Amino acid sequence: MADLELRNIWKSWGDFVAVRDFQLEISDKEFLVLLGPSGCGKTTTMRMIAGLEDPTSGEIFIGNRKVNDLEPKDRDVSMVFQNYGLYPNLNVYDNICFPLKVRKVLKAEQDQRVRKAAGMVEINDLLDRRPAELSGGQRQRVALARAIVREPNVFLMDEPLSNLDAKLRISTRAQIKNLQYELKVTTVYVTHDQTEAMTLADRVVVMNQGEIQQVGSPLEIYDRPQNVFVAGFIGSPPMNLIEGSIQDGQFVCEMNKGFPLSGPEGPIALGFRAEDAEIVSEGGQLKGLVYAMELLGDATLITLRIGGGLMCVKMPKDFRAKMGQELAVFLKPAACHLFKTDSGLRLNQS
Amino acid sequence: MSESSFLPKSLQLSKSLKLLSNGFLSIWCLIAVFPLLWITLMSLKYPLDAFSANPLVVIFGPGTLSAGASINFFDLLLVILWVVVAFLGIKRWQAEKNLGSKNWLYLGISIGWLFAAVALTELSATLREQLGADFFLSTPLLGMTTEHFQSVWIEQEFYQQFFNSLFVTTGVVSISLTVGTLAGYGLARSGSNWAFWILMTALVFRALPHSVLVSGYLPWFINSAEWLRPIFGEATLTLYGQPWAIIVVLASINQPFTIWMLRSFFQNIPRELDEAARIDGCSHGEAFVRVIVPVMWPGVLTAGLFSFLLAYNDYLVAALLLDAQNQTMVPAISGYFNRETTSTDQVEAVAAAVSITAPLFVLVMVFQKQLVSGLTQGAVKG
Repeated sequence: MADLELRNIWKSWGDFVAVRDFQLEISDKEFLVLLGPSGCGKTTTMRMIAGLEDPTSGEIFIGNRKVNDLEPKDRDVSMVFQNYGLYPNLNVYDNICFPLKVRKVLKAEQDQRVRKAAGMVEINDLLDRRPAELSGGQRQRVALARAIVREPNVFLMDEPLSNLDAKLRISTRAQIKNLQYELKVTTVYVTHDQTEAMTLADRVVVMNQGEIQQVGSPLEIYDRPQNVFVAGFIGSPPMNLIEGSIQDGQFVCEMNKGFPLSGPEGPIALGFRAEDAEIVSEGGQLKGLVYAMELLGDATLITLRIGGGLMCVKMPKDFRAKMGQELAVFLKPAACHLFKTDSGLRLNQS
Repeated sequence: MSESSFLPKSLQLSKSLKLLSNGFLSIWCLIAVFPLLWITLMSLKYPLDAFSANPLVVIFGPGTLSAGASINFFDLLLVILWVVVAFLGIKRWQAEKNLGSKNWLYLGISIGWLFAAVALTELSATLREQLGADFFLSTPLLGMTTEHFQSVWIEQEFYQQFFNSLFVTTGVVSISLTVGTLAGYGLARSGSNWAFWILMTALVFRALPHSVLVSGYLPWFINSAEWLRPIFGEATLTLYGQPWAIIVVLASINQPFTIWMLRSFFQNIPRELDEAARIDGCSHGEAFVRVIVPVMWPGVLTAGLFSFLLAYNDYLVAALLLDAQNQTMVPAISGYFNRETTSTDQVEAVAAAVSITAPLFVLVMVFQKQLVSGLTQGAVKG
């Protein structure tokens, strides 16, 4: 059980900078998710914590102990890999037991701990199978059991669910959340799936091109994205971003004459979420042409073309519209997010 | 094989095509196995039969039969029984899932089975005495004699060449595999540009004619007593003529190939395995020994078999570098043929040739499963 600190971590290969000045403190028992598109440096960051990569500069502390020069085995972390990383020549029991054997835990204790770990992920009846005889979900649970059997200081999980099918992903996700609650171990979890990040995390770190974009609770990230990247990455559908400008207290964009909006004069990106807008017959601020209508079951998603861009509006499930029809959208003023066009940073702090 | 019944319709052959292909296959098999079959038959006959122009004479050996050397129906039955049981035993061993300690049991059983062969010969002899030559089971059936084998192995001490071969192959296989696994692993995991150039250099060395390497080493072997004296003292041997010398040459001929082969096996093992092992508590070396090599085992065995074959079948290097008393089996056989004094010598040479194929059979039978998985799958997925 330990907290984790990364101080000014840089990682580069030649000219390519994979991680840029990464600075973060992770407190004990926290579930932290590193979220970002592929190639954003999240996996590299995790591998540096594990000791599988050396940072180009910066310091890593696990439980107040500087671990930069320690071998992976001496850092007391355990890791779940995307492709499971199970030993194909060993059966499930020996796979789970391997970390204990290498660390020369007493024989009697080994057996008891393996069975306990296997019980926690419900694979007790698979112990004498080989990994090749298991399904993807079962393999991932074996990998989880192998990670928890040692009771390490820190869990590292590298996209553990990305090889599973959609249904299994949801149940395994719940299992991971529950395991972390039961074991109370600091966890760092890497994913590119924002739903996983939202559901699992105590705190989310959104990364892009090697840099931290925003750190915060899932709700903060969702409700108050700090820049255009986070706004466009989080949420399903992501936040609508409409390029325009504020002139004389009016927001003007393509196809629209303008409506009153408080904010600094000049070019601006207006952001709002699909569920914070509504299609109305009167009193709407923005107009657009129906581009697509998608039935989600519990709601209907209407996509409108507005000049060169698109915007999504979530409507009740029985709402219907004709393709190409012109519709007006009402925005709740409190739910509007303003971003600078050039830097992409958030403008209003409300 | 049972898979054939699950073939998709698109791959199933029509009756006539099936007949044609099976017919072709059987003819091809016969042609392929013919030389081996023929020398086996020849080695069991007296020269009169062995060199007969009539193939039927070679097969049934009337001359040998009339000379009094024969096997009867009962002997034939025993031989077939012995072979079938041995074959089934190997099958059983291959099918075993969790071998572990059972390997020793199987080793014990196979040694026991070799002794059983001796016991069976005794049994056959006693039976012949008991039943008399007139009983149908003991009527002489085929002309057959093991005289030439006895002469080669016992009188002419062919076992010395066998031990020389054993020594050379053991040396070559252990050096090739030790260097090959380490280098293959290193080259597979290294991202350095040097790795590429090392592999290219290895390829060039592989392409060199073997005699080039031999002539390169020759002066050093001849003068070895001088330059090795500071290390080993006055008792230093001249390497020229010693099995050590050809171990060095054969290992260097073989090394590029083993490195390339093992490297491609290692490349198929996901890096995640190394990483998982290192996080689970292994150092770099332990991860290699405890995780990667066991997963690689079929590949190591396959590379080992190829090294073995190269060393075992080598003629050129052994003929150029070895003294007569250190000769390995293959060049020794050519010696037998060249002697050419009597036709009996010729059949003895054939018997010696048959003898050296037997270890290959045993080897391939024993490691069949691992070799097949090593040759076909290549990829070891988790």
